Formats: sequence, structure tokens, C-alpha cells
Amino acid sequence: MNLALTEEQQFVRQTFSALFGKEADPARVRAAEPLGHDPDLWAHLIATGALGVGIPEDIGGGGGGLLELALIAEEAGRRVAPIPFVEPAAAARLLAAYGARSLLDDALGGTRIVSLATRPGPLERQLLTDGAVADVVVALQGHRVVAVHRPPEVRPTSNMGALPLARWSDVGEVEVLAEGDQARQSFSAALNEVRILRAAALVGLASEAIEIGAAYARQREAFGVRIGTYQAVAHPLADALVAKDGAQLLTWKACWALDEGLPAAPALASMAFVFAAETAYAATQHSLHIHGGYGFTVECDIQLYYRRAKAWVTTFADPERELDVMADEMYAPARPGRQGAVSAANPGGG
Amino acid sequence: MDFHAPPHLEAIQAEAEAFAAEHVTADIVEEELRTGDGVSRPLLRAMGAKGWVAPLWPPEEGGAGLDPFETSAMLNAIRAAGGPTVGPGTTMLTANAIRALGSPELRARILPGIAAGETLICLGYTEPEGGSDVFACKTRSVRDGDEWVINGQKMFTTFAHRADYCFLLTRSDPASRGPRGLTMFLVPMGTSGIEIQAVRTMGYERTNIVFYNDVRVSDDLLVGEPEQGLHVMRAALEAEQNVAPSSRTSQLYEAAVVWARETPAPDGDTTMLDNPSVRRRLARMAIDAEVADLLGTRVGFLEQLGAKPGPHAALFGPETYVHWSKEIMDMVGPAAMADWTDPDAVVGGTFEYHFRCSVASTIYGGSSEVLRSLIAEQLLGLPRSRPKT
Repeated sequence: MNLALTEEQQFVRQTFSALFGKEADPARVRAAEPLGHDPDLWAHLIATGALGVGIPEDIGGGGGGLLELALIAEEAGRRVAPIPFVEPAAAARLLAAYGARSLLDDALGGTRIVSLATRPGPLERQLLTDGAVADVVVALQGHRVVAVHRPPEVRPTSNMGALPLARWSDVGEVEVLAEGDQARQSFSAALNEVRILRAAALVGLASEAIEIGAAYARQREAFGVRIGTYQAVAHPLADALVAKDGAQLLTWKACWALDEGLPAAPALASMAFVFAAETAYAATQHSLHIHGGYGFTVECDIQLYYRRAKAWVTTFADPERELDVMADEMYAPARPGRQGAVSAANPGGG
Repeated sequence: MDFHAPPHLEAIQAEAEAFAAEHVTADIVEEELRTGDGVSRPLLRAMGAKGWVAPLWPPEEGGAGLDPFETSAMLNAIRAAGGPTVGPGTTMLTANAIRALGSPELRARILPGIAAGETLICLGYTEPEGGSDVFACKTRSVRDGDEWVINGQKMFTTFAHRADYCFLLTRSDPASRGPRGLTMFLVPMGTSGIEIQAVRTMGYERTNIVFYNDVRVSDDLLVGEPEQGLHVMRAALEAEQNVAPSSRTSQLYEAAVVWARETPAPDGDTTMLDNPSVRRRLARMAIDAEVADLLGTRVGFLEQLGAKPGPHAALFGPETYVHWSKEIMDMVGPAAMADWTDPDAVVGGTFEYHFRCSVASTIYGGSSEVLRSLIAEQLLGLPRSRPKT
């Protein structure tokens, strides 16, 4: 039992806290909208070796685990840094597992951005999270994991979360990375890493949203006193802080379980994603609300957090349906009943 | 980062389960359900013999030298078997204050009996008009030679009718207000002038109103210095956090999974664990239970490092416990309403029991509002919401 970060992990956290603090201030975040990609920041990130932190040293990585990546994702989330990180970091670990060296070297070296297609179904029908900026996306297509190269024509989708979303309607060149059971299992492990890293990013986002709200409540006056004096303002911030700490512990536990190869890891990954999603939304919503009308204006930083708190979740999965994923992990898949309670409680079927 | 349970935890858990199988008898469990006293003297003595009343203390002081995680696992096993632990748990708050601040004579006189499971001490903080504001204390203590004379009334003094002493908060400076001018005593419950009235709760517990009419206490039963009551209470309150709190949300969750697994669905082919809405509710409950446990684990971890963990677990645990005790009633349906006296009650009537009990958990030991204000002020730097006294 040890809940403390090692010295090396603390160093990772400090390094990226400093990097994003300097290179992802709110002005840079706004300047990168609506596409949500800052090429200079991306170059800085590649130079630090961030994408390879969770990859063994003998194939060009930093030799850390998922926890080290989660610490970077949390710091990126704290500054709502305008770069893709979660999917490229998980994609790099997948390429390392397949031994796809040339693609991995390009990804780590920054020559090509390699991301993941995380939604179910054919690639052509997906709104890809990093589609506007990725050179390659790794996708599960039937029983194969493939690397799909960017087609010539890609039209970015302008969106509320300032994510580099795009559809690749005309799929370009395809390279097979793995087939059969191994393909399916490794891809689903990569999706669990995305769940965990998304959770970590949302923890960082929630943390800063709480601080923005608290800073405003400490100085803004209404009816003759500072608004933080009012419990209706203060108490939901306290609840958000408790939930944020809980989401962080849950995320760290999921990293640990996954790095240790424990059977509880997939359920913990979904738990972390769902709880961090709810925590980040509640924190940003209350923090925006206590700013009054100012919180609704584009000049106010909290709106940057409010939009992304939802977008970073929606782009990956519906938390309500994630509960079904969790339940299948924890209790084994449900057996369909003949009639009665089962179908009546779920008229939509399934 | 390592979330594995500490190495000796399984051993102590097995030892405590074996202990509970022998000493938490069916009679003790039923007596507790009927009386709600929170006390069983035979169980207390058996715990004392193992050093488990003061588990964190070293063996030479009558303890067992356990760490916070081992202590929590041991108490959980006894509670899970239905053994009452309110008596020793509450007694230890006072014991830790006496150990830290009591005179050498008082320590020698009181502490060995506590560790041995012979002495029980109830808490006399709250007053009828005080509630969460314990420093609104009006009970008076007046020096008279080498004695003190106490007059006043205390509320929610649980197991006062079974205790040997009361750890009593009084005001000895009549001109003082708020946290100043307070003095703590260890009052023997047999002293004349003490009158106890039972108060029954919705959660199967008995608590008490205690009246103090010209109760005379000798000087040597002062705990700490006169008018330093705040200091003494703080020592007791800090000790309160010394045990990794275990969340009842996860106990409730485990019972709900047992129900779902063992209950046939109306179609007769499947169980309630195959029902989509039950599955989603359970999954959501599992998340809250996991978070409540993790926040509790962090309390134990930080305590071991000598750091202050904050009231996160004390807020999140009870809040989710109340929420899920209500959700489970809806999910399980009418069968969950049957209480423990009904032989057909679902999972031994546990859902009915938790629904009744949970709602008090966000009140005692610091109401949720008090805890949220502490977090807002101490961790978020927000201004104080209560007027200064």
C-alpha cells in the first residue's frame, strides 16, 4: 500500500506542469480554436518525448507505465492544452506492442501524428477525434487492426469542444498490424487506456475549473460580502473538490491495475472514465454559474473548460452506456430473458 | 503507486472473523438489534483481552500495536458479524485525549481499564440548543473548594445508561462565549444528581438525554487544565480520524449484488442480475463504493505519514451511503421493506436496516454542511460563512 508518487513521477508532473503552464496559456488555447491544434505546442511536446513515456526503453520509449502518461494527461487537462494527446499516447503503446517500428518511430519523432479510431463501426462512418490533424489512425476493422493513412481530402468539423474532429469518408491506404483474437484483445486494451487517460485529463480540467471558481468566489462581492461566504456558492465547490480527489485516486488505481495486469483493470478503467466525466461536468457547470453572466461571455476562461468538459467525454462514449460495459466486466454479460422484467425495463431492446 | 492491501491485513481479518465467530454470539446480535445500546460487555471484555479495544496502542499499554488498516479490517469483521462497536469506538476518543493531555494519576487510573474492556466512557458534548455548534455549551461548572459543581443538560449521549464515565464539556467561565472558557471533566455516571432519559431513534438505536443537577466532581477528574477545554476536545477530535474509515456504501453494494444474483427474475429463467436497469444501478453504485473506499484508504495512508487527510471521506462516504440506501429500496421493491424480525426478510433485513440508519450518518460526527464549510475554508481559501464568536 503506497499512494505516493515516486520522485521520478513527481518530476514528470512538474516538468509538464511547467511546459503547459508556459506554452498553453488561455491566449494560446483561444488562438488554436476552432481546430484545437497548436503546432508549436505539439513540437514542444514531441521534443520532451512525452508520447513515448509509457513505452519500453529498448524501442525508443521512456520506460514508464500508464501512470506516467496519466500524469501528463492531467497536466494537459489542467491547461486544456490544444494538442491531441490521449489517443496518440494510447496508439503509440499499441504500435509498440505490435512491434510496428517504422510507424512508431515516426509517431515518437513527430514526423507523423498517429491517433486511434475509438468509436465502434466502420472507420468511414466515424467522426474521428483527431481526424483533422492525424496522418494515420489505428482502427479495429472486423477481425483486423489496421493503420489507415490519411486520405487526400479531409474536411474538419467545426465543433463546440475545439477538437480536431473530421471524417475520413474516403479511406486511404491501409496497412494490417494484427489479426484475429490478438487484434481484438490488444485493441480493447488500448481503448481502456484511452478511458483512463481521458479520465486523467478530465481530473486536471476539473481541478483548474474548481480553482477558477474559488478564485472568483474569494474576491467577487455581492450584497456587501464576498460571494464565497454564501454556502450555496461554496458548498458545491467543496463537493467538486472531494469528487476530483476521488476521480484522481480512481484513475491512479486503474493505471496501477492495468500496469500490473490485474483482472479488475477494465472495470476500473470504465469507472474512472464515468466518474471523471461526471465530476468534470459538475465542477465546470458550478464554477461557470457562480461567475454570473460573465461566465457566459467568451472573455471568461471558465467557458473554455465548460465546453471541453463535455466534449472530451462525448467524443469517446456515452457514460450511461459505459455502465453496461462495466457491468459486463464485473457480472458477466446479461442473459436475455424471455419476457417480463427484462424486456419491460428496456423497451429499446439490447 | 501500490493499491494492494498491506501485507498483514488478510491475517488480521481472518483472526477477527474467527474471533467474531466465537464471541459475537446470536444472543449478542439479537440483544443489540432489540436494545440499540451499542454495547455488549462480554464482547468488550473479549476484545480487551486481545488488545482490540485500543488496537492502535502498543501491547505494553494494553493495545495490540495494529496500524490503521489492520484496525479497520478488524473492526469491520466484528461489525459485519453484527457485533456492537459503538461503545469501544466512542470510548477511545476520550481515551486518546486522556492519554495525550491527562495527568499521570488520571492516566494510570483510567487507561488500563479502558484497554482491558472494563471501562466505557460516553460523550457529553451536544446540548439541546447546540447541535452541530458544540461550542454553544451552556452546562455550567463552578469550583467549590477541591470540588466542582455541575448543572446542565446534554443531548444524544449514546450509551449513557451503560457507561462508567461521561467525558463532559462544561463552561466554567460564565462571562465567556464560544470556544473559550470551557472545561472538560470525566464524570462517574453513578454520581448523584445525574438523571438519564431514553431517546429512541428511527435507526434502531437508543440514545439519551442526560440531566446534571448539582453534580459534584472532585478536582482530580479534570481532563487537562481548567478553561482549556477547546484544546482537550481537539485532541479527542483528531484522534477520531486516526482509524481508516470503512465505507458503508461498499457494504451496501455487496449486499445488493448478493440480492441481484440470488433473486429470480419474473420470467423464471434469469436473475435480477440480468436486468438492464439493475445492472446499470449496480455499476453506478460500484463506482461510488470504490471512490468512498479509496478516499477512506487515503485517510489511513496519510495518517501513517503524519499528514492531515481532510474530511473528504467523512463527507463522500455518508452522502453516498444515504443515496444508495434509498435507491436500493426502489430497485429491490417491497421485499426490501421487511425488517430483521421477519424470517423471510431479504438478505436478513439489511436494506430496511440501512435505509433507517443511513440518514443519521450525514449528521453525527460532523454534519455534511459543517464538513463542506471546513473544506471551503481550509482547502479552497473561501471566506468563513458562520459569524465569529
